[in-house]
Amino acid sequence: MFRLSAAFAIALALPVSAKDFSFAVTTDPQTMDPHAVNSAPVLGFLNNVYEGLVRRGKDMSIEPSLATSWSPIGNGEGWRFVLRQGVTFQDGSAFDADDVIFSYERASSEEADTSSWFAPVSKVIKVDNFTVDIMTSAPNPIFPDSIANWMIMDSGWAAANNAERPDKERGNFATLNANGTGPFQIASRQPDLATELKPHAGWWDKVEHNLSRVKMTPIQNSATALAALLSGDVDFINPVPIQDAQRLQGNPDVKVIQGIEARVIMLGFDQQPGAAESGQGASDMFLDARARAAVAQAVNVPAILQTIMRGNAEVASQLVSPAMRGYSNAQSAPYAFDPDAARALAADAGLTGQTISFKCPNDRYLNDEAVCQAITGMLAQAGMDVSLDAMPVSNYWPELRADNFDMYLLGWSPGTFDAEHPIRFLGSTPNAEKRLGSWNFGAYSNARIDALLPMIQSEIDDTARQRMLDEVAKIMQDEVAYVPLYVQPLVWGARSNIQVTQRPDNFFILRWVTVN
Amino acid sequence: MLSFIVKRVGQSVLVLLVTGLVAFSMFTFVGDPIDNMLGQERTMEDVERLRTQLGLDQPFVVQYVRFLEQAAQGNFGISYRQGRPVAEILMERAPATLELAAVSGILAIVMGIALGVFTAIRRDGVAANLIMSISLIGVSLPTFLIGILLIYLFSVELGWLPSFGRGETVKIGGWSTGFLTESGLKALILPAITLGLYQMTLIMRLVRSEMLEVLRQDYVRFARARGLSNRVVNFRHALKNTMVPVITVIGLQLGSIIAFAIITETVFQWPGVGLLFINAIQFVDIPVMAAYLMLISVMFVAINLLVDILYAMIDPRLRSAS
Repeated sequence: MFRLSAAFAIALALPVSAKDFSFAVTTDPQTMDPHAVNSAPVLGFLNNVYEGLVRRGKDMSIEPSLATSWSPIGNGEGWRFVLRQGVTFQDGSAFDADDVIFSYERASSEEADTSSWFAPVSKVIKVDNFTVDIMTSAPNPIFPDSIANWMIMDSGWAAANNAERPDKERGNFATLNANGTGPFQIASRQPDLATELKPHAGWWDKVEHNLSRVKMTPIQNSATALAALLSGDVDFINPVPIQDAQRLQGNPDVKVIQGIEARVIMLGFDQQPGAAESGQGASDMFLDARARAAVAQAVNVPAILQTIMRGNAEVASQLVSPAMRGYSNAQSAPYAFDPDAARALAADAGLTGQTISFKCPNDRYLNDEAVCQAITGMLAQAGMDVSLDAMPVSNYWPELRADNFDMYLLGWSPGTFDAEHPIRFLGSTPNAEKRLGSWNFGAYSNARIDALLPMIQSEIDDTARQRMLDEVAKIMQDEVAYVPLYVQPLVWGARSNIQVTQRPDNFFILRWVTVN
Repeated sequence: MLSFIVKRVGQSVLVLLVTGLVAFSMFTFVGDPIDNMLGQERTMEDVERLRTQLGLDQPFVVQYVRFLEQAAQGNFGISYRQGRPVAEILMERAPATLELAAVSGILAIVMGIALGVFTAIRRDGVAANLIMSISLIGVSLPTFLIGILLIYLFSVELGWLPSFGRGETVKIGGWSTGFLTESGLKALILPAITLGLYQMTLIMRLVRSEMLEVLRQDYVRFARARGLSNRVVNFRHALKNTMVPVITVIGLQLGSIIAFAIITETVFQWPGVGLLFINAIQFVDIPVMAAYLMLISVMFVAINLLVDILYAMIDPRLRSAS
């Protein structure tokens, strides 16, 4: 610890050059271990330090990283990756196929949180020092897309430091230290306080950024983060509170970078028949698709976006945003807002007179509680009686798992950036053994979708695959499996001399940052 | 005397144990840490496995007994959020809170007494009335608002002081201090004022009213009649006699400065134990919450124990009272 702090003190004592860059985040990455926690703050940050076989470009497309090329083997038995030669890790050791094999074993182990990425993989074969075959149990056309966040760790470094497996509970050397092949390396790390990065001198790719020193500070309070940006104490913050974005735009010293995240916010319903459930939400009121349609038509999404999101978001029609692969153009029309039709439907379905228990998080999504309050009011106008219960996310998930709801709010960002992802987690009938439907709290179930999913997963032909994705999107829309509301906005703030690139995955990629 | 102390210590330990039990029974309501520890693609099996591994499937009494067993061996567990020993994290964070509390405490005492005396002596002056009016802000505005206002004025608008953090620190042994660097001292100013303002106005108003009371006493009048200078009358005779209740209040406020630090630390992103605790609540980092609450209750129990013993030493009647 003393060594780290000393390095930190020295770093601060250096003269401030134009290339120093300091940014604030709301959540400090819990760990520096790329396989221990599969969460956006961790993976987003570690993308600057570690690299995978493939990576995502500025437009989210897959591009070569530690692999220079890849191609399917035979009739889809797997994928062959040709590795990049001459790549070194930040500690100087060389990268080769053994590191890929090791990282596969590590990331797919039971101790890892990333093992679901490798569920389709049957085995990984080292062909030679720079060729690796990843065999899949069924043809898997989107496998390269699904491993953009699978980061490669040096096998020798992990062995030498006793970190051959991730350790979520007790932590190990890799929790606090990192050794990747990426453009930046960790100069010092004080969890929760500050993390300093410096450029990796031996990085294989052409350097686009002009940073010599990067400091990341977690600032939880959004008003404090905003003040830090305005006073110039930090150069970049994410997110900017939506209600402050407009005010910032009038300030010549800073700029606001707006975009749309990959995250779709939706309403889910309890569709589990029978009285087997416990809790207040033990009613079967949403078993009837007309009841769900009544909710869909009663919610005026454009009005929510105009007022609560300050016009910064986009109405959603399905579980993925148009920027995702496999988005269904055929199903791009959202539910029409029609309170009269909603009122009639609600009466038909027997919703009127019952109290809908609506659960909502209040610290998970942008302005989540305000959105839920607006929805509650809108449903009331269509004759539905809603009892809203908003709570911190730490209480929220246990509540959903216990089936204590009739209706709930959920946001979903597909890790693979493909429409198959939400079908697997939200559209499939829950099945622990097959690891399906693990976030399908309302137990929505449709046999046709369950049958289509494995076919979508193994279909090589893009047109045929899209046809099946369209079919699933149509079924879910017709049955009102969920009510997609909007695609969540991204609002970043930076000093006006900073150039950044915003991606829909909300990852802050330092190699694209320039300070003028 | 010895039996009195032994009895009091025994009672203190009992209080600590009960506090811990209540704390542990509350943790179930804070939420479930498992979802925060696992990513999006976890399955229900992963959730249950981790829950069993962490022992969270056990009743809270069992969890509490296990915590006590380990704490007795000096092991406060490992933070769910950081994957590091809690004791190490607390040691790392304590200096920030203690330095902030010390500076704002001193600020509150020195400024509070000085202004209190001033407003008492010049009770009809314009300046004294102005100070009294302004001091209303200190007692009535919530801490986080004062903090945000100070940041807005001195960091954003004037650009004189840093808006967050502790600045540069120097490590002396295991203690990281911000007293030895310019940026560290600058970073202390706003949070120290924010944290100390309430205590300062409290002390000031107390000193003022006590002082006004004392200045009316006969012995002050006699002192003046003897021709003693104003300075001697005000400071040697009057102020000294106002100090007894003031010191009692200062002692009581000592603990609350550290407790109030939670809000100030959140506003200024001050890397102390208060901020650590807030983050731990959001994440449901039970080992950190448990250790922090036990630490704070040890502190309060120790202060009370000390006060009890001091009272007993002063007043022998308390010793024999059963």
